[in-house]
Amino acid sequence: MSADRFGLGWRPRLAAGILANLDRIDIVEVIADDYFRAPRHERRALQTLAAQTPVTLHGVSLGLASAVPVETRRLDDMARLCSEVAPEFWSEHLAFVRGGGIEIGHLAAPPRTEATIEGALANLARAKQIVGIAPQVENVATLIDPPGSDRDEASWLAAIVRNSESRLLLDLHNLHANAVNFNFAAKGFLARIPVERIATIHLAGGKWIGRNGAQRLLDDHLHDVPDPVYELLEEVAARAPQPLTVILERDGNFPSIESLLVQLDRARQAVAGGRARTPHLHRHEVAA
Amino acid sequence: MSESRLEVFLARIYVDQTAREQFLADPRGEAMRAGLAAQEIEQVVNIDRDGLELFAHSLGHKRARKHGNQKNQHA
Repeated sequence: MSADRFGLGWRPRLAAGILANLDRIDIVEVIADDYFRAPRHERRALQTLAAQTPVTLHGVSLGLASAVPVETRRLDDMARLCSEVAPEFWSEHLAFVRGGGIEIGHLAAPPRTEATIEGALANLARAKQIVGIAPQVENVATLIDPPGSDRDEASWLAAIVRNSESRLLLDLHNLHANAVNFNFAAKGFLARIPVERIATIHLAGGKWIGRNGAQRLLDDHLHDVPDPVYELLEEVAARAPQPLTVILERDGNFPSIESLLVQLDRARQAVAGGRARTPHLHRHEVAA
Repeated sequence: MSESRLEVFLARIYVDQTAREQFLADPRGEAMRAGLAAQEIEQVVNIDRDGLELFAHSLGHKRARKHGNQKNQHA
């Protein structure tokens, strides 16, 4: 039996479907920020959910990948919620989300430099100190080649993961989108990052957008997972010896819960296919 | 803290349409007025203009969706 797990992002519109299908869902990822200021009854409901099924907390607004320290009050919010919910783990993006008091309103890819590597490492150390557990860190999608960068995404990401206690939450649609938008090979990217540090995988979909003739793939979480993302998932499963947690994210344009579960089943098949390609790496699963 | 000055500059041109239009009309001048270091000025002068426009446009849509009271729009 495999130790790989497959789950869904918790959204209010999906709640009933998720609760009715917990036999097909191994783990649920909850957006932490939705609960920082939530009323007590909503936080209690989250605690109840966590008592029923494995839960992870996912942050979207810390802005860890910045030369500027994350504000302590934001880390305190995460620490308080982690203390209440006792998630299996928590995660955040390697993004910057504000500057000079301006909230960008989205996860922006920072300039890929030594300064943002050092800033991210310092922020991750503070996050572990205040929350008590190091977050898993997620790669972000970007529509703009990050200005001010002096290195590529793979080397920047690898430096942060190799020099921190954080494991990697690899978003495969973000990787796919960046690869097609900026013309690099996604599988080559996998060869340059420490795959043994991948703990979690995100799957999602997106759409092509254009302006003045320029076309880019937008990671919008409003569409089904495309074929190249499943192919990347199989590739990760073939390369990574450790168990993986795979989470499907959907933020809107919601299909039926069955449609999402079918996509999760396809993710299971992709992981099994990857594991089968490299059985020597996965003997622990055969023995389990 | 030149790097954080760059982050502030980027946040401004991503979010503020007027700042973005002024920058695209005179990239070097706006970068110099923002106090960026010489190397940073060269990098932002050569900014990915298509990406900047698309990213700013997507931010506008995202804010519009949020104001349309759709919770849980996450990246």
